[in-house]
Amino acid sequence: MKGLPYKIAGLLLIIFSLTYGLWTEVPELPIIEQSIRNLFYHVSMWFAMVAMMAASFGNAIGFLSSENMARDRRSISLAETGMFFSVMGLLTGMLWAKFTWGAWWTNDPKLNGTAITMLIYLAYFVLRNSIDDPRKRARISGVYNIFAFVMMIVFIGILPRMTDSLHPGNGGNPGFNSYDLDNRLRLVFYPAVLGWILVGTWIASLRYRLRTLEE
Amino acid sequence: MKNTWVLVRRYFSQEVRNSNVLFSLGLYLVGVAYLIYLLNGGSVPADKVWNTLLWIVVFFGAIQLSSRSFEFESNDYFYYYQTIAGPGATIIAKLLFNSAYIAVISTVTWGLFSVFFGNPVYNNILFGLALLLGSAGCSVVLTLTSGVAQRTQGNATLGAILALPLLLPILQLTSVLNLQAIVGVPTNEALNLLGSLGALDVGIGLLAYLLFPYLWQD
Repeated sequence: MKGLPYKIAGLLLIIFSLTYGLWTEVPELPIIEQSIRNLFYHVSMWFAMVAMMAASFGNAIGFLSSENMARDRRSISLAETGMFFSVMGLLTGMLWAKFTWGAWWTNDPKLNGTAITMLIYLAYFVLRNSIDDPRKRARISGVYNIFAFVMMIVFIGILPRMTDSLHPGNGGNPGFNSYDLDNRLRLVFYPAVLGWILVGTWIASLRYRLRTLEE
Repeated sequence: MKNTWVLVRRYFSQEVRNSNVLFSLGLYLVGVAYLIYLLNGGSVPADKVWNTLLWIVVFFGAIQLSSRSFEFESNDYFYYYQTIAGPGATIIAKLLFNSAYIAVISTVTWGLFSVFFGNPVYNNILFGLALLLGSAGCSVVLTLTSGVAQRTQGNATLGAILALPLLLPILQLTSVLNLQAIVGVPTNEALNLLGSLGALDVGIGLLAYLLFPYLWQD
């Protein structure tokens, strides 16, 4: 099996973060209390998603400069995997929001950013489906992918910093960003992020190989 | 640079010659503004609603414009331009033309809204600047996405689907600025936001310039 070490490492890291995340000691903060554990399950999804989308963006640039069709297959496979992580991140976030904020959905810049990201990539999939010629599809959707990724980074990375958010660590809410992300949380959070990125790479590579076989 | 100006002039003369399109766009703006007036029972909407309605009218006007952006170039014209001017000059000309066009659409809409609902804006200079920068940003996104949609051959709704999510960051930033202008924030205190919107426009404009040549090759 190709790339066995990273697959095993990814699985072990995820199993570690899923189980140890439940019994590790966490700092006691008002309002979020024990739900702070969602850091391991929810926030790691966004890190994995951005990593997948960035890799997809990189492969789109790679395709436009080299005209290598394998790059295009990687690009779409990674974007699909990123979409999967964003759906998971959305679901875990909505569940958490219901218990912490009392509503499934709020008008929060980060939530808007998520909604836009999903719309952008859904439009990308629609665009791909509407072109038949593979080479043309690769080039045109590559152009859209690059433009869309840049707009997504503007929307989720820059705009939320200019307005207040309800999220922990923003706008005076208790959080773990600057002063509270202590070592106990880090010990589970970083492995979770790394594990999900590795497993995401695995999923994307499976989809990539499936595509290669189909063509 | 010379090619760009020739193209811009050509787009404008095409637009003036094709005056029924211009007329229908104007009619759309007046019609929608009056429709809102009628449905609202002649009363004046709150400031935030006023701003939202203004942008929705501009948004659909701009979509309508962009869906025609590549239309009048039948394939022969398209190749003719490519060989004569090159993709770089073409995209710059298109961006300039569409920016000016959308700026006119939004200014006209502002005028119509002032007639029907009064002008709630306190700082008119800031509002105008925000409209101009917002129009430029919209034109970049719409020009690129309509170029993409045009290459998929005649899928008219695809252009709107592709453009909508990409327009939201620009529209959100612009409408924050517009609301500040309505409240009456002095222009020099909004320079930070104006600067970010301008930088965003320039950045995505540059990106569109770099990406456009890849839409040409066949």
